[in-house]
Amino acid sequence: MRRRILSGRALGAGCVAAALIAGAAACSSGGGAAAGAVPAGGAAAAAGSRQPLVIGISLSLTGDFGDTGKAAERGYELWADQVNKSGGILGRPVELKIVDDTTSATQVVTNYESLITQDHVDLVFGPVSSLLTVPAARVAARYGYAFLEPAGGAQTVFDLHLHNLFLAQASPVLDLGQSFVDYILSLPASQRPKTAAYSSVDNPFASPVVALVQQQLQAAGIKTVLSQTYPSEQADLGPVVARVVAAKPDLVVDGTQGEDGYETVKDFVQQKFSPRFLFMPNDASDPVDFPAQVGIGNVDGIYTADTWSPLAKDPGNAAFIKAYLGQYGGTADQIDPTSAEAYTCGEVLQEVAAKTGSVANAAIISALHAGTFSTIEGTLSWNADGATDGHGTLLLQWVNHELVPVYPVADAAAPPLNPKPAWGA
Amino acid sequence: MHTFVQALILGVLTGGVYALMSTGQTLVFGVMRVVNVAQGMLVILSAYLSYTLHQKLGIDPFATIVIVMPAMFAVGVLIQLAFIRPVKRERTEISFEQTLLIMFALAVGIEGLVDLCYTAEYRSITTSYANSSWTVAGYTFSVVRVLAFALAVVLLAALWLLLNKTEFGRAVRATVQNPTSARLLGVDTERIGALGMGLGISLAGASGAVFGLIYPFNANSSYDLVSRLLSIVVLGGLGSVIGAVVGSLTLGVAEAVVAATISPVWAPFTFLVVLMVVLLVRPQGLFGAVERGAL
Repeated sequence: MRRRILSGRALGAGCVAAALIAGAAACSSGGGAAAGAVPAGGAAAAAGSRQPLVIGISLSLTGDFGDTGKAAERGYELWADQVNKSGGILGRPVELKIVDDTTSATQVVTNYESLITQDHVDLVFGPVSSLLTVPAARVAARYGYAFLEPAGGAQTVFDLHLHNLFLAQASPVLDLGQSFVDYILSLPASQRPKTAAYSSVDNPFASPVVALVQQQLQAAGIKTVLSQTYPSEQADLGPVVARVVAAKPDLVVDGTQGEDGYETVKDFVQQKFSPRFLFMPNDASDPVDFPAQVGIGNVDGIYTADTWSPLAKDPGNAAFIKAYLGQYGGTADQIDPTSAEAYTCGEVLQEVAAKTGSVANAAIISALHAGTFSTIEGTLSWNADGATDGHGTLLLQWVNHELVPVYPVADAAAPPLNPKPAWGA
Repeated sequence: MHTFVQALILGVLTGGVYALMSTGQTLVFGVMRVVNVAQGMLVILSAYLSYTLHQKLGIDPFATIVIVMPAMFAVGVLIQLAFIRPVKRERTEISFEQTLLIMFALAVGIEGLVDLCYTAEYRSITTSYANSSWTVAGYTFSVVRVLAFALAVVLLAALWLLLNKTEFGRAVRATVQNPTSARLLGVDTERIGALGMGLGISLAGASGAVFGLIYPFNANSSYDLVSRLLSIVVLGGLGSVIGAVVGSLTLGVAEAVVAATISPVWAPFTFLVVLMVVLLVRPQGLFGAVERGAL
């Protein structure tokens, strides 16, 4: 999955805004009295009536994350439609109250404050992107609301150490390379790469992932012939790629973000270098844009990773895809993983309500910390900070122009393709 | 050594593309005394136009220049007549700041429109030759970058001829060097200003197609671009065409060589060091005049 990331300029502005909001939130939550201002679980829950169960969500329906926000909206609404058809949650119909945050870290705080204190929603689900999840989760924590969130997987989210936060993905961003490491180390020694080059943009969604992969492969005896991080301001990646080419590695791990991934592949093609193994954790997992940008003839053999795939064999996944296509049309490979992650938030809520017989926020938080939950993203459980265990990441590879899970073996739809075919093959 | 030479090749070819973009910007400053902070956005707008012509009508991106350049020329003239001329006519002390804000507002407005029409999704102009390259003596030459460099050479040569060998060019240079004297000698400086603005922005039109062939882009790409173009123009000397070309090649080569042979971390910083050193020694830039223009 392509983790949503802002450009250097926008990211800078966003970080400043997020820092200001975080600071303001920290100041205002100092006394802790605010948590009691609104009853956690909402009035309706306390009444135990058949009133609608209102779930408040702030989504980026416009702005930089507009496409991802709309994908999450589709996932949330699909789940709500399905759960209502099956009688709702504990007999109460689900009603979503979705508001637009315009991809603004300021607006997302206003939205959740308003949803909780003015609309008195029963529950909340998270927004899209780690950037917006951080301030939003703080608001939810202040009022004692459980915060199931679909797309805030960066380490900055878990560094908040919030007890109410739960990521609805099989693994946080940092563990995105784990399935690739596991796969490489599962190969017989004779088939493993002997040398590796690690190249990454300086970005919290990319460089920590690459560094973790490097650390593990290096410890396993794969020689590092190049390790470089380039600034996000790097205008032309030709020289960056030239450095990798000069190192002649068997394996390249390339931590790109956004347009960098497309440009990197183009530069590899133009410089006529095709490594035996090429792992691009982020950009290559976009089933639509990636082949369109780099050319369908240049995708085969490239490894990537994600927490969800339309071909994954997790329980309920086939039914989710069928329902999604029935409601929104298109093809399975066009489903944005964010839709699946948003849908997963609903699945988890449904399951926890069935287990506990309650939709009170305190009960939900307690139950989520204690149990495991079966979803279309795999079986989820959380540590104290809300991160999932990281073992559910799927290793995907482009095989015959299609993105398919190839590892772990239990989830594989095709055997891995090694070595990577030449460009244009 | 191989990596160094390969980086040098990449740097020169990239510098050529930047030369095309920055020349238009410096020309606008030279003729109109307007810091065109919208040049990056106009390059991106041109890239979208070229992309659309290629996608919808199947026109080769290089051939789209025949349509995009005149279209952007018209946009430039329109900007001058509708937004810049009224402010310049007032001849107030703050007209410089006003035009700066006008160009910034235009950039933001165009960015919004482009986002509305094309969304924030990245686009690339992809052709059959987009990823092709030639190998000569073990060094690779990207076909697109070589063609882009050749286009830059042709257009910059044409610009040089236009400025130095034609009546219009003499009028432009006179306007740059001393607008008051030019007016006294019968040069219609307002007309020259409009045509100069059109010419500068038409160069953004040409470079847009090239930019879209080499780099993926969306509306946000304009911000990185304009900061680089401004740095190039300041290094070369505001208003100097030759300065813009030299500045572009300096940026391209410095960044590529440092990134490939030392570390990419230092690449953007290296150019800024060069810029600072040059400005300390020659505050007017490499080819800038102390007073007015230096076309």
